[in-house]
Amino acid sequence: MDAASSFAAILFFPSGLFLLAASLAYEWVDRKLLAQFQNRIGPRWFQPLADVVKLLAKEEIIPDGVNRWLFVGLPIVGLAAPLTAALYIPLAGLAPVFSFPGDLIVAIYLLSVLTMSIGLAGSNALGRFSLVGATRTLTQLFSYEAPFLLALLGPALIAGSWQISTIIEVSAQHWFILTQPLGFVVALIGLMGKLELPPFDAPEAETEVVAGALTEYSGRGLALFRLGKGVELVLGLTLVAAFYLGGVGGPLAFFVKTLALLLIVAGLQAVLARLRIDQTVGLWWRFGVMLVLVQWALTWLLQGGWR
Amino acid sequence: MEETTGTDLFTVPIGPQHPALKEPSHFRITVDGEIVTDATVRLGYAHRGIEKAAEARNWVRNLYLFERVCGICSHIHATAYALGVERLAGVEAPPRAQAIRVLVAELERIHSHLLWLGVAAHEAGFDTLFMYSWRDREAIMDVLEGLTGNRVNYSANVLGGVKCDVDDAQRDAILKALDMLEGRSHHYLDVVTTDALFLQRTRGIGTMTRNQAEVMGAVGPTARASGVPRDVRLDAPYAAYARYPVMRVVETAGDLEARFVVRIRELFESYRLIRYLLDNLPAGEIRGRMPRRVPQGETISRVEAPRGELFYFLKSNGTDTPERVKVRTPTIYNLTSVVKLVVGHQLADVPMILAGIDPCFSCNDRTVRLEETNGRTHHWTWDQLRRYSLEVEHGRSL
Repeated sequence: MDAASSFAAILFFPSGLFLLAASLAYEWVDRKLLAQFQNRIGPRWFQPLADVVKLLAKEEIIPDGVNRWLFVGLPIVGLAAPLTAALYIPLAGLAPVFSFPGDLIVAIYLLSVLTMSIGLAGSNALGRFSLVGATRTLTQLFSYEAPFLLALLGPALIAGSWQISTIIEVSAQHWFILTQPLGFVVALIGLMGKLELPPFDAPEAETEVVAGALTEYSGRGLALFRLGKGVELVLGLTLVAAFYLGGVGGPLAFFVKTLALLLIVAGLQAVLARLRIDQTVGLWWRFGVMLVLVQWALTWLLQGGWR
Repeated sequence: MEETTGTDLFTVPIGPQHPALKEPSHFRITVDGEIVTDATVRLGYAHRGIEKAAEARNWVRNLYLFERVCGICSHIHATAYALGVERLAGVEAPPRAQAIRVLVAELERIHSHLLWLGVAAHEAGFDTLFMYSWRDREAIMDVLEGLTGNRVNYSANVLGGVKCDVDDAQRDAILKALDMLEGRSHHYLDVVTTDALFLQRTRGIGTMTRNQAEVMGAVGPTARASGVPRDVRLDAPYAAYARYPVMRVVETAGDLEARFVVRIRELFESYRLIRYLLDNLPAGEIRGRMPRRVPQGETISRVEAPRGELFYFLKSNGTDTPERVKVRTPTIYNLTSVVKLVVGHQLADVPMILAGIDPCFSCNDRTVRLEETNGRTHHWTWDQLRRYSLEVEHGRSL
């Protein structure tokens, strides 16, 4: 019985199919909000699903000169990693399927695997746009990853644990956004960097490098990468909401808080112009890291760590 | 780094098909990491043989042919052509017709600059500005449609005058659209000069000094952003510009920001000019008599298109068809500066610098350049092109 319910949880709810459906729904909300901010109509509600179905049905062209195993395998890894990370994250306000001390680090690393897969996929292809895009993807990975991780560790510091469920128990009583506002800002913007959303979309800036690392991808591979990004959007929003916005106590709180965050994210996408990759790196290492370190120092002082 | 992988790997091709280019053109950008070390341009993908086609059509039909050189600044091409033909024929269009030519030209300039603003913002990844400026541009498109019946190729000109008159209802519609656009333009000027992230992409990028602009022969807003006071509307007034003078808009910084500022400030100048013109429209005919045959002779016609100086050379042999028409569009003058200015900048800045001159490739393609697989290139002469077209027409391959 226990095994059966775990299986169902992995396959359907709260992970698995629910997560895929949520990723499509959140992608639609993001696109629709952005369109409305830009005075456009935006896509219909089923457009992300239709895109995925269309891509899955299309022929996948494998270009000459690539390693076929990598070309086919990387999209699968790229989607599987965030789906695995979902097992440790309190989706829809329910307790994570698995939990152990230190699972925060595992979850964050699993979330980075998608970006690394995209970078590798771009390096694997021989096209120049893919190569330039891959370089930018990996450069960006090295710039936002540390501040993002440090920002998520802020609440962990208070909770005294690197176990997600323990941190959430603490954050349910404290809205960390009030005590650690700098950490919240860095975490949310780090999430935008992770997802390569504007203004951090230099790796896939269409006017410069076409589709960046994924230029050579079509059909199934592209669909899986896109799904992976959608999943990561949901997971990232969940993590930030759970850590900084007073936890996600139930399905209602989950949806309200993550959608509120998505509203902010879409608004930022609408009002900001794209950063060049050197500007992105400069922004993260000059301001992102400094903000988080200041936040850590403040937390440490206020907690009485100096005694 | 390059000796192991070959020089090819670090050459990034932009075009002929590329999302940054709405028209076919080919830029070969050599990069070291993200820094551009060399750039070359190859044109000729959209050569349409318009000049040759003109020799097979009579003077009147050619007006509509040359209007189709450019889809954005169609009216100014027809104006340049019509002014040249009228000069050859010794005909002067009535003052009201000349004023309406100026009116449509300025409306077209507004539409072209707003379109450019959107495209340039899109190149910088600022899609919100892109969507907003194109939405506002619809107001001008509607006005032009109400005035001439067309949204793109207005056909406002006829030889010896204009086709359409301005009545009170149209006047009110234009003024209403201008009021709306003036408010919006103030906002856009504010955005491009204060938005910190956007300024990171434009301030100090692609800077062209006044000396460089003069040496490379830049024209239009691109030159005026570098402090070169060059504007055909003032230097050699045509149509009714002597009667309705514009004010010269010049910036001195020479970078991309200055090009944004120059174009937006030109919008205000166009709004002012149109309002003044509508209040002081001369009464009278809008069309003069035009002979079917144009006396022998040759002339040039220079006008200020939204992108800069547009040049027409016309030669008549006394019949009802021209012997030779030569078109030189502003993009070809300005392209030199792009190839020069991108060197030393980041790859990410290349589309921005390219967009900064407001390029229009199919307008400027007057030549076909062939590139063989062994790397040799050669240009086709007029005769070779003609022979090739005849051979194709007769079903033979080259």
